[in-house]
Amino acid sequence: MKTGKIYQKLNLTIFTLVMVFLYIPIIILIIFSFNNSKIVAGWKGFTFKYYLLLFQNAQIKTAFQHTLIIAVTSTLASTVLGVLCALGLENKRFSGRKMMSALIYIPLIMPDILMGVSLALLFNFLRVQTGMVTVFIAHVTFCLSYTVIVIQSRLAGFDYSLVEAAMDLGAKPWLIFWKVKFPLMLPGIIAGALLAFTLSIDDFVITFFTSGRGFDTLPIYVEGAIRRGTITTINALSTLMIGFTLFLVVVTKRIRKLLLT
Amino acid sequence: MSHQHRHNQPSLLETKDLSKRNLQSWLLSAPSLIWLTAFFSIPYLIILIYSLLTPDIYEVKFLFSLNAYRDIFSGLYFKPFYLSMRLAMITTMLCLLLGYPVAYLIARSSEKWKNILLILIIIPFWTNFIIRIFSWRIFLSTHGVMNEVLMALNLISSPIEIIRTDLAVIIVMVYVYLPYMILPLYSVIEKLDFTLLDAATDLGASNRQAFFKVTLPLSREGIFAGSILVFIPALGAYLIPQLVGNQNALYIGQIITYRIKNIPRNWPVASALSLVMLIIIAMILLTGYYIYQKRRIRKLHENR
Repeated sequence: MKTGKIYQKLNLTIFTLVMVFLYIPIIILIIFSFNNSKIVAGWKGFTFKYYLLLFQNAQIKTAFQHTLIIAVTSTLASTVLGVLCALGLENKRFSGRKMMSALIYIPLIMPDILMGVSLALLFNFLRVQTGMVTVFIAHVTFCLSYTVIVIQSRLAGFDYSLVEAAMDLGAKPWLIFWKVKFPLMLPGIIAGALLAFTLSIDDFVITFFTSGRGFDTLPIYVEGAIRRGTITTINALSTLMIGFTLFLVVVTKRIRKLLLT
Repeated sequence: MSHQHRHNQPSLLETKDLSKRNLQSWLLSAPSLIWLTAFFSIPYLIILIYSLLTPDIYEVKFLFSLNAYRDIFSGLYFKPFYLSMRLAMITTMLCLLLGYPVAYLIARSSEKWKNILLILIIIPFWTNFIIRIFSWRIFLSTHGVMNEVLMALNLISSPIEIIRTDLAVIIVMVYVYLPYMILPLYSVIEKLDFTLLDAATDLGASNRQAFFKVTLPLSREGIFAGSILVFIPALGAYLIPQLVGNQNALYIGQIITYRIKNIPRNWPVASALSLVMLIIIAMILLTGYYIYQKRRIRKLHENR
Protein backbone atom coordinates (compact mmCIF):
# COMPACT_ATOMS: atom_id res chain seq x y z
CA MET A 1 0.00 0.00 0.00
CA LYS A 2 2.94 2.25 0.76
CA THR A 3 4.29 2.12 -2.79
CA GLY A 4 0.79 2.94 -3.98
CA LYS A 5 0.88 6.18 -2.03
CA ILE A 6 4.23 7.06 -3.56
CA TYR A 7 2.88 6.50 -7.06
CA GLN A 8 -0.14 8.60 -6.26
CA LYS A 9 2.09 11.39 -5.01
CA LEU A 10 4.25 11.14 -8.11
CA ASN A 11 1.17 11.30 -10.31
CA LEU A 12 -0.08 14.34 -8.47
CA THR A 13 3.31 16.04 -8.70
CA ILE A 14 3.53 15.49 -12.45
CA PHE A 15 -0.05 16.66 -12.82
CA THR A 16 0.64 19.87 -10.92
CA LEU A 17 3.82 20.49 -12.91
CA VAL A 18 1.96 19.99 -16.19
CA MET A 19 -0.75 22.43 -15.11
CA VAL A 20 1.87 25.03 -14.18
CA PHE A 21 3.60 24.35 -17.48
CA LEU A 22 0.34 24.83 -19.40
CA TYR A 23 -0.65 28.07 -17.72
CA ILE A 24 2.54 29.95 -16.88
CA PRO A 25 3.18 31.42 -20.34
CA ILE A 26 -0.42 32.51 -20.76
CA ILE A 27 -0.56 34.17 -17.35
CA ILE A 28 2.71 35.99 -17.95
CA LEU A 29 1.45 37.21 -21.29
CA ILE A 30 -1.71 38.61 -19.72
CA ILE A 31 0.23 40.33 -16.93
CA PHE A 32 2.71 41.88 -19.34
CA SER A 33 -0.03 43.27 -21.58
CA PHE A 34 -0.52 45.85 -18.80
CA ASN A 35 3.19 46.60 -18.48
CA ASN A 36 4.17 50.19 -19.17
CA SER A 37 7.34 49.35 -21.11
CA LYS A 38 8.44 49.17 -24.73
CA ILE A 39 10.35 45.95 -24.20
CA VAL A 40 9.00 42.86 -22.51
CA ALA A 41 11.52 42.53 -19.68
CA GLY A 42 10.96 44.08 -16.28
CA TRP A 43 7.85 45.55 -14.70
CA LYS A 44 7.51 49.29 -15.28
CA GLY A 45 4.06 49.93 -13.89
CA PHE A 46 0.46 49.37 -14.87
CA THR A 47 -1.04 50.80 -18.05
CA PHE A 48 -3.98 50.42 -20.44
CA LYS A 49 -2.03 52.27 -23.13
CA TYR A 50 -1.47 49.29 -25.39
CA TYR A 51 -5.13 48.38 -25.42
CA LEU A 52 -5.92 51.89 -26.60
CA LEU A 53 -3.17 51.75 -29.23
CA LEU A 54 -4.65 48.48 -30.38
CA PHE A 55 -7.97 50.05 -31.28
CA GLN A 56 -6.27 52.81 -33.23
CA ASN A 57 -4.26 50.43 -35.36
CA ALA A 58 -5.85 50.24 -38.83
CA GLN A 59 -3.84 47.18 -39.85
CA ILE A 60 -5.10 45.20 -36.87
CA LYS A 61 -8.63 46.29 -37.66
CA THR A 62 -8.49 44.99 -41.24
CA ALA A 63 -6.73 41.81 -40.14
CA PHE A 64 -9.47 41.29 -37.59
CA GLN A 65 -12.16 41.82 -40.22
CA HIS A 66 -10.47 39.40 -42.59
CA THR A 67 -10.21 36.79 -39.83
CA LEU A 68 -13.90 37.11 -39.02
CA ILE A 69 -15.04 36.98 -42.65
CA ILE A 70 -12.98 33.86 -43.32
CA ALA A 71 -13.99 32.20 -40.05
CA VAL A 72 -17.72 32.81 -40.55
CA THR A 73 -17.86 31.79 -44.22
CA SER A 74 -15.63 28.74 -43.89
CA THR A 75 -17.50 27.61 -40.77
CA LEU A 76 -20.81 27.85 -42.63
CA ALA A 77 -19.54 26.00 -45.69
CA SER A 78 -17.74 23.26 -43.79
CA THR A 79 -20.70 22.73 -41.48
CA VAL A 80 -23.19 22.37 -44.35
CA LEU A 81 -20.87 19.96 -46.18
CA GLY A 82 -20.21 18.18 -42.89
CA VAL A 83 -23.89 17.67 -42.06
CA LEU A 84 -24.59 16.20 -45.49
CA CYS A 85 -21.55 13.93 -45.38
CA ALA A 86 -22.28 12.73 -41.84
CA LEU A 87 -25.85 11.86 -42.91
CA GLY A 88 -24.47 9.92 -45.84
CA LEU A 89 -22.01 8.03 -43.66
CA GLU A 90 -24.77 7.15 -41.23
CA ASN A 91 -25.74 4.29 -43.55
CA LYS A 92 -23.52 1.41 -42.40
CA ARG A 93 -23.90 -0.39 -45.76
CA PHE A 94 -22.89 2.60 -47.88
CA SER A 95 -20.53 1.18 -50.51
CA GLY A 96 -18.28 4.26 -50.44
CA ARG A 97 -18.07 4.34 -46.66
CA LYS A 98 -14.50 3.10 -46.32
CA MET A 99 -13.15 5.43 -48.98
CA MET A 100 -15.00 8.45 -47.59
CA SER A 101 -13.78 7.71 -44.06
CA ALA A 102 -10.18 7.54 -45.27
CA LEU A 103 -10.61 10.80 -47.19
CA ILE A 104 -11.94 12.46 -44.05
CA TYR A 105 -9.50 11.08 -41.49
CA ILE A 106 -6.26 11.50 -43.45
CA PRO A 107 -6.34 15.34 -43.64
CA LEU A 108 -6.67 15.38 -39.84
CA ILE A 109 -3.15 14.12 -39.23
CA MET A 110 -1.37 15.61 -42.23
CA PRO A 111 1.16 18.24 -41.12
CA ASP A 112 -0.18 21.72 -41.89
CA ILE A 113 2.82 22.48 -44.01
CA LEU A 114 1.97 19.74 -46.52
CA MET A 115 -1.58 21.01 -46.93
CA GLY A 116 -0.25 24.56 -47.25
CA VAL A 117 2.36 23.74 -49.87
CA SER A 118 0.03 21.53 -51.90
CA LEU A 119 -2.69 24.19 -52.02
CA ALA A 120 -0.20 26.95 -52.83
CA LEU A 121 1.04 24.96 -55.81
CA LEU A 122 -2.49 24.06 -56.90
CA PHE A 123 -3.47 27.74 -56.99
CA ASN A 124 -0.28 28.57 -58.86
CA PHE A 125 -0.93 25.76 -61.35
CA LEU A 126 -4.46 27.00 -61.97
CA ARG A 127 -3.23 30.62 -62.17
CA VAL A 128 -5.65 31.66 -59.43
CA GLN A 129 -4.85 34.95 -57.73
CA THR A 130 -4.25 34.22 -54.03
CA GLY A 131 -6.35 36.20 -51.55
CA MET A 132 -9.64 35.91 -49.77
CA VAL A 133 -11.08 33.16 -51.97
CA THR A 134 -8.04 30.91 -51.77
CA VAL A 135 -7.85 31.31 -47.99
CA PHE A 136 -11.56 30.46 -47.78
CA ILE A 137 -11.04 27.30 -49.84
CA ALA A 138 -8.07 26.25 -47.69
CA HIS A 139 -9.96 26.81 -44.44
CA VAL A 140 -13.00 24.84 -45.58
CA THR A 141 -10.65 22.01 -46.57
CA PHE A 142 -9.06 21.64 -43.15
CA CYS A 143 -12.27 22.32 -41.17
CA LEU A 144 -14.36 19.82 -43.12
CA SER A 145 -12.83 16.70 -41.53
CA TYR A 146 -13.49 18.04 -38.05
CA THR A 147 -17.11 18.99 -38.69
CA VAL A 148 -17.89 15.62 -40.30
CA ILE A 149 -16.33 13.69 -37.40
CA VAL A 150 -17.98 15.72 -34.64
CA ILE A 151 -21.44 15.58 -36.27
CA GLN A 152 -21.02 11.91 -37.13
CA SER A 153 -20.09 11.00 -33.56
CA ARG A 154 -23.32 12.60 -32.37
CA LEU A 155 -25.32 10.70 -34.97
CA ALA A 156 -23.80 7.45 -33.74
CA GLY A 157 -25.49 7.82 -30.36
CA PHE A 158 -28.79 8.73 -31.96
CA ASP A 159 -32.17 7.78 -30.54
CA TYR A 160 -34.06 6.40 -33.53
CA SER A 161 -37.24 5.64 -31.62
CA LEU A 162 -38.41 9.21 -32.16
CA VAL A 163 -37.85 9.01 -35.92
CA GLU A 164 -39.63 5.66 -36.03
CA ALA A 165 -42.50 7.09 -34.02
CA ALA A 166 -42.84 9.97 -36.49
CA MET A 167 -42.79 7.50 -39.39
CA ASP A 168 -45.42 5.33 -37.74
CA LEU A 169 -47.59 8.38 -37.35
CA GLY A 170 -47.36 8.87 -41.11
CA ALA A 171 -45.11 11.94 -41.29
CA LYS A 172 -43.43 12.71 -44.62
CA PRO A 173 -39.64 12.08 -44.79
CA TRP A 174 -38.81 15.78 -45.17
CA LEU A 175 -41.04 16.71 -42.30
CA ILE A 176 -39.41 14.01 -40.17
CA PHE A 177 -36.02 15.39 -41.00
CA TRP A 178 -36.77 19.02 -40.16
CA LYS A 179 -39.10 18.47 -37.22
CA VAL A 180 -37.49 15.49 -35.53
CA LYS A 181 -34.04 14.59 -36.75
CA PHE A 182 -32.53 18.03 -37.29
CA PRO A 183 -33.37 19.34 -33.80
CA LEU A 184 -31.82 16.19 -32.33
CA MET A 185 -28.70 16.71 -34.45
CA LEU A 186 -28.40 20.38 -33.54
CA PRO A 187 -26.05 20.07 -30.52
CA GLY A 188 -23.62 18.09 -32.68
CA ILE A 189 -23.87 20.60 -35.51
CA ILE A 190 -23.19 23.50 -33.16
CA ALA A 191 -20.24 21.71 -31.57
CA GLY A 192 -18.79 21.02 -35.04
CA ALA A 193 -19.34 24.60 -36.17
CA LEU A 194 -17.67 26.06 -33.07
CA LEU A 195 -14.69 23.78 -33.54
CA ALA A 196 -14.41 24.85 -37.19
CA PHE A 197 -14.63 28.49 -36.13
CA THR A 198 -11.82 28.23 -33.58
CA LEU A 199 -9.65 26.24 -35.99
CA SER A 200 -10.16 28.91 -38.61
CA ILE A 201 -9.22 31.87 -36.41
CA ASP A 202 -6.27 29.88 -35.06
CA ASP A 203 -4.62 28.86 -38.31
CA PHE A 204 -1.32 30.33 -39.33
CA VAL A 205 0.63 27.90 -41.51
CA ILE A 206 -1.99 27.05 -44.14
CA THR A 207 -3.14 30.68 -44.38
CA PHE A 208 0.50 31.75 -44.74
CA PHE A 209 0.79 29.61 -47.89
CA THR A 210 -2.57 30.46 -49.43
CA SER A 211 -3.02 34.18 -48.71
CA GLY A 212 -1.56 36.64 -51.11
CA ARG A 213 0.10 39.88 -50.22
CA GLY A 214 -2.44 42.31 -48.77
CA PHE A 215 -4.70 39.68 -47.27
CA ASP A 216 -3.58 39.32 -43.67
CA THR A 217 -5.54 37.47 -41.01
CA LEU A 218 -4.78 38.12 -37.34
CA PRO A 219 -2.29 35.24 -36.92
CA ILE A 220 -0.47 36.40 -40.06
CA TYR A 221 -0.35 39.95 -38.73
CA VAL A 222 0.88 38.74 -35.33
CA GLU A 223 3.67 36.71 -36.89
CA GLY A 224 4.78 39.69 -38.94
CA ALA A 225 4.73 41.93 -35.88
CA ILE A 226 6.82 39.44 -33.92
CA ARG A 227 9.31 39.30 -36.80
CA ARG A 228 9.50 43.09 -37.04
CA GLY A 229 9.81 43.35 -33.26
CA THR A 230 6.79 45.62 -32.79
CA ILE A 231 5.46 43.38 -30.11
CA THR A 232 4.10 45.56 -27.34
CA THR A 233 0.57 45.75 -28.72
CA ILE A 234 0.73 42.02 -29.44
CA ASN A 235 0.55 41.28 -25.71
CA ALA A 236 -2.66 43.27 -25.46
CA LEU A 237 -4.04 41.72 -28.66
CA SER A 238 -3.19 38.23 -27.38
CA THR A 239 -4.90 38.86 -24.08
CA LEU A 240 -8.06 39.93 -25.89
CA MET A 241 -7.89 36.83 -28.08
CA ILE A 242 -7.50 34.59 -25.02
CA GLY A 243 -10.51 36.32 -23.49
CA PHE A 244 -12.45 35.69 -26.68
CA THR A 245 -11.54 31.99 -26.56
CA LEU A 246 -12.73 31.71 -22.96
CA PHE A 247 -15.93 33.45 -23.99
CA LEU A 248 -16.44 30.87 -26.76
CA VAL A 249 -15.86 27.99 -24.32
CA VAL A 250 -18.48 29.39 -21.96
CA VAL A 251 -20.94 30.00 -24.81
CA THR A 252 -20.47 26.42 -26.04
CA LYS A 253 -21.22 25.06 -22.58
CA ARG A 254 -24.29 27.23 -22.24
CA ILE A 255 -25.69 26.34 -25.66
CA ARG A 256 -25.12 22.66 -25.01
CA LYS A 257 -26.92 22.88 -21.69
CA LEU A 258 -29.82 24.82 -23.21
CA LEU A 259 -30.22 22.35 -26.05
CA LEU A 260 -29.92 19.26 -23.91
CA THR A 261 -32.51 20.31 -21.34
CA MET B 1 -24.70 -14.09 -35.41
CA SER B 2 -28.04 -15.08 -36.90
CA HIS B 3 -28.94 -11.42 -37.14
CA GLN B 4 -25.89 -10.75 -39.28
CA HIS B 5 -26.57 -13.84 -41.36
CA ARG B 6 -30.05 -12.71 -42.27
CA HIS B 7 -28.71 -9.40 -43.52
CA ASN B 8 -26.16 -11.09 -45.73
CA GLN B 9 -28.94 -12.46 -47.89
CA PRO B 10 -31.53 -9.72 -48.08
CA SER B 11 -34.91 -10.26 -49.66
CA LEU B 12 -35.79 -8.60 -52.98
CA LEU B 13 -37.61 -5.77 -51.28
CA GLU B 14 -34.71 -5.16 -48.95
CA THR B 15 -32.24 -5.13 -51.85
CA LYS B 16 -34.24 -2.41 -53.56
CA ASP B 17 -34.40 -0.41 -50.38
CA LEU B 18 -30.69 -0.92 -49.74
CA SER B 19 -29.62 0.28 -53.18
CA LYS B 20 -31.86 3.31 -52.81
CA ARG B 21 -30.26 4.10 -49.47
CA ASN B 22 -26.83 3.54 -50.98
CA LEU B 23 -27.54 6.03 -53.75
CA GLN B 24 -28.80 8.48 -51.16
CA SER B 25 -25.54 8.10 -49.21
CA TRP B 26 -23.49 8.76 -52.34
CA LEU B 27 -25.49 11.90 -53.10
CA LEU B 28 -25.17 13.19 -49.53
CA SER B 29 -21.42 12.69 -49.36
CA ALA B 30 -20.78 13.81 -52.96
CA PRO B 31 -20.14 17.50 -52.13
CA SER B 32 -17.53 16.57 -49.52
CA LEU B 33 -16.05 13.94 -51.80
CA ILE B 34 -15.68 16.45 -54.62
CA TRP B 35 -14.31 19.15 -52.32
CA LEU B 36 -11.69 16.92 -50.72
CA THR B 37 -10.69 15.38 -54.03
CA ALA B 38 -10.23 18.80 -55.60
CA PHE B 39 -8.51 20.51 -52.68
CA PHE B 40 -6.89 17.70 -50.74
CA SER B 41 -6.03 14.81 -53.09
CA ILE B 42 -5.35 16.52 -56.42
CA PRO B 43 -2.96 19.08 -54.86
CA TYR B 44 -0.62 16.19 -54.03
CA LEU B 45 -0.64 15.30 -57.71
CA ILE B 46 0.39 18.89 -58.43
CA ILE B 47 3.23 18.50 -55.92
CA LEU B 48 4.38 15.44 -57.85
CA ILE B 49 4.26 17.34 -61.15
CA TYR B 50 6.09 20.38 -59.76
CA SER B 51 8.83 18.19 -58.29
CA LEU B 52 9.69 17.18 -61.88
CA LEU B 53 9.96 20.72 -63.28
CA THR B 54 12.77 23.26 -63.63
CA PRO B 55 13.11 25.92 -60.92
CA ASP B 56 12.89 29.63 -61.71
CA ILE B 57 13.52 32.67 -59.51
CA TYR B 58 9.82 33.31 -58.91
CA GLU B 59 7.86 30.33 -60.16
CA VAL B 60 8.69 27.28 -62.29
CA LYS B 61 9.52 26.61 -65.92
CA PHE B 62 7.42 23.86 -67.41
CA LEU B 63 10.47 21.85 -68.46
CA PHE B 64 11.06 18.32 -67.26
CA SER B 65 13.99 17.96 -64.87
CA LEU B 66 15.16 15.47 -62.26
CA ASN B 67 17.46 17.98 -60.57
CA ALA B 68 15.28 18.28 -57.47
CA TYR B 69 15.66 14.56 -56.79
CA ARG B 70 19.36 14.69 -57.58
CA ASP B 71 19.69 17.43 -54.96
CA ILE B 72 17.80 15.42 -52.39
CA PHE B 73 19.71 12.21 -52.90
CA SER B 74 23.04 14.05 -52.84
CA GLY B 75 22.50 14.21 -49.07
CA LEU B 76 22.06 17.98 -48.96
CA TYR B 77 18.80 17.66 -47.06
CA PHE B 78 19.71 14.71 -44.91
CA LYS B 79 20.39 16.76 -41.79
CA PRO B 80 17.10 18.71 -41.71
CA PHE B 81 15.21 15.43 -42.11
CA TYR B 82 17.24 13.87 -39.33
CA LEU B 83 16.60 16.89 -37.06
CA SER B 84 12.85 16.78 -37.73
CA MET B 85 12.63 13.04 -37.09
CA ARG B 86 14.59 13.45 -33.88
CA LEU B 87 12.41 16.35 -32.77
CA ALA B 88 9.20 14.42 -33.53
CA MET B 89 10.48 11.40 -31.58
CA ILE B 90 11.62 13.36 -28.52
CA THR B 91 8.38 15.37 -28.51
CA THR B 92 6.28 12.20 -28.70
CA MET B 93 8.24 10.50 -25.90
CA LEU B 94 8.03 13.50 -23.58
CA CYS B 95 4.32 14.02 -24.30
CA LEU B 96 3.74 10.37 -23.43
CA LEU B 97 5.77 10.52 -20.21
CA LEU B 98 4.05 13.69 -19.03
CA GLY B 99 0.65 12.97 -20.54
CA TYR B 100 0.11 9.49 -19.15
CA PRO B 101 0.09 10.40 -15.43
CA VAL B 102 -2.14 13.37 -16.19
CA ALA B 103 -4.61 11.33 -18.25
CA TYR B 104 -4.59 8.62 -15.58
CA LEU B 105 -5.28 11.07 -12.80
CA ILE B 106 -8.13 12.71 -14.69
CA ALA B 107 -9.65 9.36 -15.65
CA ARG B 108 -9.69 8.24 -12.01
CA SER B 109 -11.15 11.46 -10.57
CA SER B 110 -14.77 11.92 -9.62
CA GLU B 111 -17.26 12.88 -12.35
CA LYS B 112 -17.34 16.53 -11.29
CA TRP B 113 -13.55 16.90 -11.21
CA LYS B 114 -13.17 15.08 -14.50
CA ASN B 115 -15.04 17.83 -16.35
CA ILE B 116 -13.17 20.63 -14.61
CA LEU B 117 -9.76 19.08 -15.24
CA LEU B 118 -10.55 18.30 -18.87
CA ILE B 119 -11.54 21.92 -19.47
CA LEU B 120 -8.32 23.05 -17.80
CA ILE B 121 -6.38 20.90 -20.27
CA ILE B 122 -8.38 22.12 -23.25
CA ILE B 123 -8.32 25.90 -22.60
CA PRO B 124 -4.64 26.40 -23.55
CA PHE B 125 -5.32 24.18 -26.54
CA TRP B 126 -8.02 26.58 -27.69
CA THR B 127 -5.81 29.60 -27.18
CA ASN B 128 -4.33 30.88 -30.39
CA PHE B 129 -1.39 28.77 -31.58
CA ILE B 130 0.88 31.67 -32.48
CA ILE B 131 0.14 33.46 -29.24
CA ARG B 132 1.13 30.42 -27.22
CA ILE B 133 4.47 30.30 -29.01
CA PHE B 134 4.91 34.02 -28.53
CA SER B 135 4.26 33.76 -24.80
CA TRP B 136 7.07 31.20 -24.54
CA ARG B 137 9.37 33.63 -26.25
CA ILE B 138 8.60 36.18 -23.55
CA PHE B 139 9.16 33.57 -20.89
CA LEU B 140 12.37 32.01 -22.18
CA SER B 141 14.21 34.88 -23.85
CA THR B 142 17.59 36.03 -22.53
CA HIS B 143 16.10 38.99 -20.68
CA GLY B 144 12.78 37.24 -20.27
CA VAL B 145 10.72 36.46 -17.24
CA MET B 146 12.39 33.17 -16.35
CA ASN B 147 15.90 34.59 -16.36
CA GLU B 148 14.87 37.73 -14.47
CA VAL B 149 13.20 35.70 -11.75
CA LEU B 150 16.06 33.21 -11.44
CA MET B 151 18.57 36.05 -11.25
CA ALA B 152 16.54 38.00 -8.73
CA LEU B 153 16.48 34.89 -6.58
CA ASN B 154 20.26 34.61 -7.00
CA LEU B 155 19.90 31.12 -8.39
CA ILE B 156 21.95 32.02 -11.47
CA SER B 157 24.49 34.77 -12.00
CA SER B 158 24.03 35.26 -15.75
CA PRO B 159 21.02 34.52 -18.00
CA ILE B 160 20.60 30.97 -19.31
CA GLU B 161 20.48 30.92 -23.09
CA ILE B 162 17.50 28.75 -23.89
CA ILE B 163 15.83 30.79 -26.61
CA ARG B 164 17.10 29.92 -30.10
CA THR B 165 18.23 26.43 -29.08
CA ASP B 166 16.84 22.96 -29.77
CA LEU B 167 15.83 22.79 -26.11
CA ALA B 168 13.50 25.77 -26.58
CA VAL B 169 11.96 24.07 -29.62
CA ILE B 170 11.37 20.87 -27.63
CA ILE B 171 9.80 22.74 -24.68
CA VAL B 172 7.35 24.60 -26.90
CA MET B 173 6.59 21.54 -29.04
CA VAL B 174 5.70 19.50 -25.92
CA TYR B 175 3.61 22.42 -24.72
CA VAL B 176 1.63 22.66 -27.95
CA TYR B 177 1.17 18.92 -28.60
CA LEU B 178 0.56 17.67 -25.03
CA PRO B 179 -3.26 17.87 -25.23
CA TYR B 180 -3.20 15.75 -28.41
CA MET B 181 -1.59 13.02 -26.29
CA ILE B 182 -3.64 13.48 -23.13
CA LEU B 183 -7.10 13.35 -24.72
CA PRO B 184 -6.83 9.96 -26.53
CA LEU B 185 -5.03 8.47 -23.50
CA TYR B 186 -7.78 9.76 -21.24
CA SER B 187 -10.57 8.30 -23.36
CA VAL B 188 -8.95 4.84 -23.29
CA ILE B 189 -7.95 4.86 -19.60
CA GLU B 190 -11.40 6.07 -18.64
CA LYS B 191 -12.97 2.95 -20.16
CA LEU B 192 -10.48 0.65 -18.43
CA ASP B 193 -11.90 -1.97 -16.14
CA PHE B 194 -10.15 -1.06 -12.90
CA THR B 195 -11.40 -4.21 -11.15
CA LEU B 196 -8.72 -6.05 -13.16
CA LEU B 197 -6.13 -3.91 -11.41
CA ASP B 198 -7.60 -4.73 -8.01
CA ALA B 199 -7.62 -8.40 -8.95
CA ALA B 200 -3.94 -8.24 -9.86
CA THR B 201 -2.95 -6.59 -6.58
CA ASP B 202 -5.18 -8.96 -4.62
CA LEU B 203 -3.31 -11.84 -6.22
CA GLY B 204 -0.07 -10.41 -4.90
CA ALA B 205 1.19 -8.26 -7.77
CA SER B 206 3.01 -5.13 -6.67
CA ASN B 207 1.64 -1.81 -7.85
CA ARG B 208 4.42 -1.53 -10.37
CA GLN B 209 3.78 -5.03 -11.71
CA ALA B 210 0.07 -4.31 -11.92
CA PHE B 211 0.76 -1.15 -13.86
CA PHE B 212 3.16 -2.70 -16.36
CA LYS B 213 1.25 -5.98 -16.79
CA VAL B 214 -2.33 -4.71 -16.70
CA THR B 215 -2.86 -0.97 -17.05
CA LEU B 216 -0.22 -0.21 -19.65
CA PRO B 217 -1.09 -3.07 -22.08
CA LEU B 218 -4.78 -2.24 -21.81
CA SER B 219 -4.19 1.40 -22.67
CA ARG B 220 -2.06 0.53 -25.69
CA GLU B 221 -4.59 1.86 -28.18
CA GLY B 222 -4.61 5.29 -26.56
CA ILE B 223 -0.81 5.38 -26.53
CA PHE B 224 -0.83 4.46 -30.20
CA ALA B 225 -3.43 7.07 -31.22
CA GLY B 226 -1.81 9.81 -29.14
CA SER B 227 1.64 9.06 -30.52
CA ILE B 228 0.43 9.30 -34.11
CA LEU B 229 -1.44 12.54 -33.38
CA VAL B 230 1.77 14.04 -31.99
CA PHE B 231 4.48 12.48 -34.13
CA ILE B 232 3.14 13.20 -37.60
CA PRO B 233 2.25 16.89 -37.19
CA ALA B 234 5.53 17.35 -35.27
CA LEU B 235 7.43 16.04 -38.26
CA GLY B 236 6.27 19.01 -40.31
CA ALA B 237 6.85 21.63 -37.61
CA TYR B 238 7.61 25.04 -39.08
CA LEU B 239 6.46 27.92 -36.92
CA ILE B 240 7.87 26.75 -33.57
CA PRO B 241 11.46 26.21 -34.84
CA GLN B 242 11.10 29.46 -36.77
CA LEU B 243 10.14 31.53 -33.72
CA VAL B 244 12.16 29.94 -30.91
CA GLY B 245 14.71 27.65 -32.60
CA ASN B 246 18.33 27.86 -33.65
CA GLN B 247 18.45 29.42 -37.11
CA ASN B 248 21.73 27.71 -37.99
CA ALA B 249 20.29 24.20 -37.89
CA LEU B 250 17.04 24.27 -39.82
CA TYR B 251 14.25 21.70 -39.65
CA ILE B 252 12.69 20.29 -42.79
CA GLY B 253 9.51 22.36 -42.39
CA GLN B 254 11.60 25.52 -42.45
CA ILE B 255 13.57 24.41 -45.51
CA ILE B 256 10.37 23.64 -47.43
CA THR B 257 8.88 27.03 -46.49
CA TYR B 258 12.05 28.90 -47.48
CA ARG B 259 12.15 27.18 -50.88
CA ILE B 260 8.51 28.13 -51.48
CA LYS B 261 8.59 31.69 -50.12
CA ASN B 262 12.12 33.10 -50.27
CA ILE B 263 13.59 34.43 -53.50
CA PRO B 264 15.30 32.77 -55.37
CA ARG B 265 12.58 30.20 -55.00
CA ASN B 266 12.97 26.54 -55.74
CA TRP B 267 9.54 24.97 -55.96
CA PRO B 268 10.69 21.65 -57.46
CA VAL B 269 12.96 21.01 -54.46
CA ALA B 270 10.21 22.08 -52.02
CA SER B 271 7.82 19.70 -53.80
CA ALA B 272 10.26 16.80 -53.78
CA LEU B 273 10.96 17.35 -50.06
CA SER B 274 7.22 17.45 -49.36
CA LEU B 275 6.80 14.17 -51.24
CA VAL B 276 9.56 12.52 -49.21
CA MET B 277 7.83 13.69 -46.04
CA LEU B 278 4.52 12.35 -47.35
CA ILE B 279 6.12 8.95 -48.07
CA ILE B 280 7.61 8.78 -44.56
CA ILE B 281 4.18 9.58 -43.08
CA ALA B 282 2.46 7.02 -45.30
CA MET B 283 4.95 4.36 -44.21
CA ILE B 284 4.38 5.15 -40.53
CA LEU B 285 0.60 5.03 -40.96
CA LEU B 286 0.65 1.80 -42.96
CA THR B 287 2.90 0.10 -40.40
CA GLY B 288 0.60 1.27 -37.63
CA TYR B 289 -2.47 0.06 -39.49
CA TYR B 290 -0.83 -3.31 -40.18
CA ILE B 291 0.08 -3.84 -36.52
CA TYR B 292 -3.41 -2.78 -35.46
CA GLN B 293 -5.11 -5.18 -37.89
CA LYS B 294 -2.86 -8.04 -36.84
CA ARG B 295 -3.69 -7.44 -33.20
CA ARG B 296 -7.38 -7.30 -33.99
CA ILE B 297 -7.27 -10.59 -35.88
CA ARG B 298 -5.34 -12.18 -33.02
CA LYS B 299 -7.89 -10.88 -30.56
CA LEU B 300 -10.74 -12.34 -32.63
CA HIS B 301 -9.01 -15.73 -32.60
CA GLU B 302 -8.47 -15.52 -28.86
CA ASN B 303 -12.10 -14.65 -28.26
CA ARG B 304 -13.19 -17.65 -30.27
